[in-house]
Amino acid sequence: MIAAKERNGKEDVWIPTCCGQCYCMCGIRVRRQNGVVTEVEGNPEAPTGRGKICVKGLAGPQLLYDPYRVNYPLKRTNPKKGIGVDPKWERISWDEALDIIIKKLKKCQEVDPRGVYFQATTTQASEIRFGVIGFMKAFGTPNYWVSGGGLHCGNGAHFMNGIMHVSWSIIPDFAHCNLPLNFGCSKGHGAGHVAVQNATQAADARARGSRTITFDPFQSAQAAKAHEWQPIRVGTDGAMALGLVNSLLNEHGIWDDEYIKYKTNGPYLIRPSDGRYMRDKETNKPLVWDLVDGCQKIHSDPSVTRVEYEDEAHDVAIQGRYTVDGVECTPAFELLKEHVKKYTPQYVEEITWVPAASVSRIAKEIGQAAEIGATVTIQTEKGPKKIPKRPIAAHYFRGSQGHVNSGWTCLSIDMVNHIVGAADTWGGAMGLGATVCGGYEGTGKPYQIPYADDDGLLVAKAWVYDHLPYPMRVPKPPTRLDLHDMFPTSIYNAFTITSPRWFEMLDRFKIPYRPDIMINFGSNSVMTMGHAETVTENFLKKFNFIFSFQLYITEFEEAVADIVLPDTCYLERYTPAVSFPSTFSHPQGEDDWGWTIRQPVIEPLYERRDFNVVMLDICKRLGISDKYYKGLNDTIIMRYGGAMDDKYKLCEDGSREHEWPEVTDRLLKDRFGEEHGLDHVSEKAVFTWPKRKEDVYWKWFNPARVPLYFEYFIDSGEQIAKLCDEFDAKEFFDFDWSRFKALADWYPCPSHTEPDPEYDMYTFYWRAVMHCNSLTQQNPWLDECSQEDPYVYAIQMHADTAQKKGIKQGEKVWLENSHGHRVRGWVALTEGIEPRHLAVAAVAGHWGEYMPIAKGKGTFFNDLVEMDKEHTDPLTLNQDICCRVKIYKA
Amino acid sequence: MARYGMVIDLKRCYGCYACSMACKVANHTPPNVFWSRVLKGESGTFPNVVRQALPVLCFHCEDPGCVKVCPTKATYANDDGVVVIDKEVCVGCKYCMMGCPYGARYTVPEWKSYFPEGLPLSELEQFQKEAWEEKSGCGVATKCDFCTERREDGKEPSCVTACPADARIFGDLDNPDSEASQRIKRDRGFVLKPEQGTKPKVYYLPPR
Ligand code: SF4
Ligand code: SF4
Ligand code: SF4
Ligand code: SF4
Repeated sequence: MIAAKERNGKEDVWIPTCCGQCYCMCGIRVRRQNGVVTEVEGNPEAPTGRGKICVKGLAGPQLLYDPYRVNYPLKRTNPKKGIGVDPKWERISWDEALDIIIKKLKKCQEVDPRGVYFQATTTQASEIRFGVIGFMKAFGTPNYWVSGGGLHCGNGAHFMNGIMHVSWSIIPDFAHCNLPLNFGCSKGHGAGHVAVQNATQAADARARGSRTITFDPFQSAQAAKAHEWQPIRVGTDGAMALGLVNSLLNEHGIWDDEYIKYKTNGPYLIRPSDGRYMRDKETNKPLVWDLVDGCQKIHSDPSVTRVEYEDEAHDVAIQGRYTVDGVECTPAFELLKEHVKKYTPQYVEEITWVPAASVSRIAKEIGQAAEIGATVTIQTEKGPKKIPKRPIAAHYFRGSQGHVNSGWTCLSIDMVNHIVGAADTWGGAMGLGATVCGGYEGTGKPYQIPYADDDGLLVAKAWVYDHLPYPMRVPKPPTRLDLHDMFPTSIYNAFTITSPRWFEMLDRFKIPYRPDIMINFGSNSVMTMGHAETVTENFLKKFNFIFSFQLYITEFEEAVADIVLPDTCYLERYTPAVSFPSTFSHPQGEDDWGWTIRQPVIEPLYERRDFNVVMLDICKRLGISDKYYKGLNDTIIMRYGGAMDDKYKLCEDGSREHEWPEVTDRLLKDRFGEEHGLDHVSEKAVFTWPKRKEDVYWKWFNPARVPLYFEYFIDSGEQIAKLCDEFDAKEFFDFDWSRFKALADWYPCPSHTEPDPEYDMYTFYWRAVMHCNSLTQQNPWLDECSQEDPYVYAIQMHADTAQKKGIKQGEKVWLENSHGHRVRGWVALTEGIEPRHLAVAAVAGHWGEYMPIAKGKGTFFNDLVEMDKEHTDPLTLNQDICCRVKIYKA
Repeated sequence: MARYGMVIDLKRCYGCYACSMACKVANHTPPNVFWSRVLKGESGTFPNVVRQALPVLCFHCEDPGCVKVCPTKATYANDDGVVVIDKEVCVGCKYCMMGCPYGARYTVPEWKSYFPEGLPLSELEQFQKEAWEEKSGCGVATKCDFCTERREDGKEPSCVTACPADARIFGDLDNPDSEASQRIKRDRGFVLKPEQGTKPKVYYLPPR
């Protein structure tokens, strides 16, 4: 820690660490005066934030000292569970709490360790990778989910971006992009990963004169800052994007020939019989048609590949028909071009409510702004290199992807970029976090250069969890409690575990164990998932014992926790790696790499104990700490860019234990050299090194291609359907597995097909800049700030619609869906919303007794979110989070 | 001598409230006091409508209405143009609050906690209370002072440092080469309610 400095004879010191109010991992400096944490500032040394900070980060001290924090272990004495039940908490000692926990865990270990289910929050994403994953590996359970986060935003977006950009998200290269197309996402405008840095970059772009077009049902921050706002119907972004793709390809005849030919599977020859690749008999590799030699070649033949832009290669066919081994095949690109023809501007207007003329005009604008053929020269390690300049970028996040068309919507939006070659090159759509890293020069770590598999497609070298987005896992008879093993695209899902027939499903799939113990780390899944009663009754109450590391007693603890353990907040703990895995949340752009750590700015207050310290302690008591260390060593390979040297590896033979500062020290030394351990890094809480330009604009330095044609989905869909049949599971989920197909389409959400005209309003939720997930609602400064904003606690409604319905400004109303679920709130009238929509902010509307600041503020939107299979994307198992409601006075 | 002012670039600003919060934390303002505030407005009718954020603070006017009406001379401008309040002299008559055309001044009769009554104050709130009483005080007029303490430490005002969009520029308006002066000249800087004649030293750059 930093040596104390004095001011007027009193301690006054700024300590660098990393923010933890959201998952953006900004470097911060925290002021401690006479032992009291009083202020937070951005840390200019840290590339994440660069001295800037958001409203939540600034409000951090209130989280530390909130009198409503849980400060002592608590035990539920009322055996009854459920929403609204008084748990009758009793304060207990840590010893007693841990004794109870160990006893329960030991029993579960004997019966079947897979009975343990870990639930975590995305807010503490970096801690998850240690305490949660290490424990799961050591204890031997595969059961895990992060509530809300993953299912509202992750299954579609992270999966597709993983395939197309080896990253979690996408973002315009703001520094050079002239036309960002924003599909209802707050990236660059307050929320999303790398929020602060993106906001700075987006502001720079505006100042530079870039032109933004935003598709969003309401005047969000991103719509308000845009040059053109297209009020789109919720859930139809995918159709809009396919309309743009069609218009580009078939109306304007615009695409990036070189990109399609050498950086995608557009030239791969597809056989008509089953839509599969035509493969080389000998090597089994997909074939392309060489137009110079007039014959087929395997895709990786040097004569038909260009790694770098200035490489030379034969022209290859992306249109026409070519006969290989007597079979007439078509290049994938041609199939795509044909396939999207149905998305005419008129058809797109019907779906999206964006005028047909705008579809066509925006496509043309994209085509022109992309400057296809233009290049820039960048300085690489190997000297100056020419790369394509493609300054347009379509990007999106939760808004567009939280629908039953999630996977294909994500892909469709990104397809706009790939058609004009604007991906991971100058000015285009870039992976976020920054992914491609050749490593620190002293050690070569973290090493995260993606590569091509045998089919020539892009494979991530670093990823946030163990299974990669590509190559796709082979669906297997399930062993996990959410049947995850048989659904290769998803991270987790809700429709199984929240189903009233969950256990029947487990029986049917011959899963021999049942949920026993839930360990919760910071999540409030009663509120962050969907309809609260459903989550509680169908899922959470199925556990025999739940213990929870938490900062507050949230609605989750109140409803179902047996033991609450007082966790430290981010200001009271060590976390060895925060800005890495960079895939998750590291700024894009030419600024340095930064490996940020968390270090305590104050000793834990009261009886709070750090989650990671306690999990390690639990492992010691269970006698599995050796396995835990091994679990961490294994985790580091995929997530942090390569294996640890033996010298720094955590001890796997049980002969010694490690503390968190030491783990931090070892990881740092292993990545950055003996001299750059904790002592060195703690001075700035970040280790930085320069980014190579070829790692920023990596597309034309890497041999891998990306798919425009998802051939391998076909197999996957067939495999899942077969598994379902084998287990006779149709009655549980008769999903349309044909959505596992090679080419993108748009599918309507239940909100679009609601048959009852009484439910006449579309509703969705948006993310307010002052909130992350659900906990920030209890911060009194953020609450006050929310009240400053006209909409954060309101239901936004168009003034004319309200007038027709006789609803006035400020009036209390109910929103009710056709499942009879309803939520309460008050209306703020506005012109800034498409008149058939209602907009609600964030996870608000808390009712818990132990978060009085949050209680009763805003609307609990998630109570309108259904988690059944009708609201689940068959392709990615993402949840639909838009709905149709009727509105009436409360 | 410098003549301090600020420029807020509305093209860069996206209404994130970091300035409000940064000010609150650095200057320990109690509930309902926002020396730095973000106003939100909307103009036009659907679909030709746009929302605009307008961050406001004390404009440190050259001819400040507040100073004119202050009967005790508690409010005055420093040599560097920063308008300040001497809390020892202020009698809390609130004339200045009427005299300021921008609603930049705040007063609280007594210090209040953010939390429901009856709880012991947290260490943070105890600190906030003392710091507020030391710097500003209850029953007297208070407002933005361009972060006196931070400037003494050689730092920029808190709201300027925090702003994720780099929308705020603090500087010497007497120095024609300062970024603030340059930007006002180059980007058509304007002030709010010029007809009030108080000559604000906080300028805005147009949103589009
Ligand atoms: S964006 Fe997230 S990590 Fe960054 S300052 Fe805000 S709350 Fe903290
Ligand atoms: S911090 Fe900056 S961007 Fe945010 S509201 Fe204030 S001036 Fe605008
Ligand atoms: S804005 Fe108001 S308080 Fe500030 S100097 Fe001008 S008149 Fe005085
Ligand atoms: S200059 Fe300082 S006192 Fe004035 S609004 Fe900004 S942060 Fe507040």
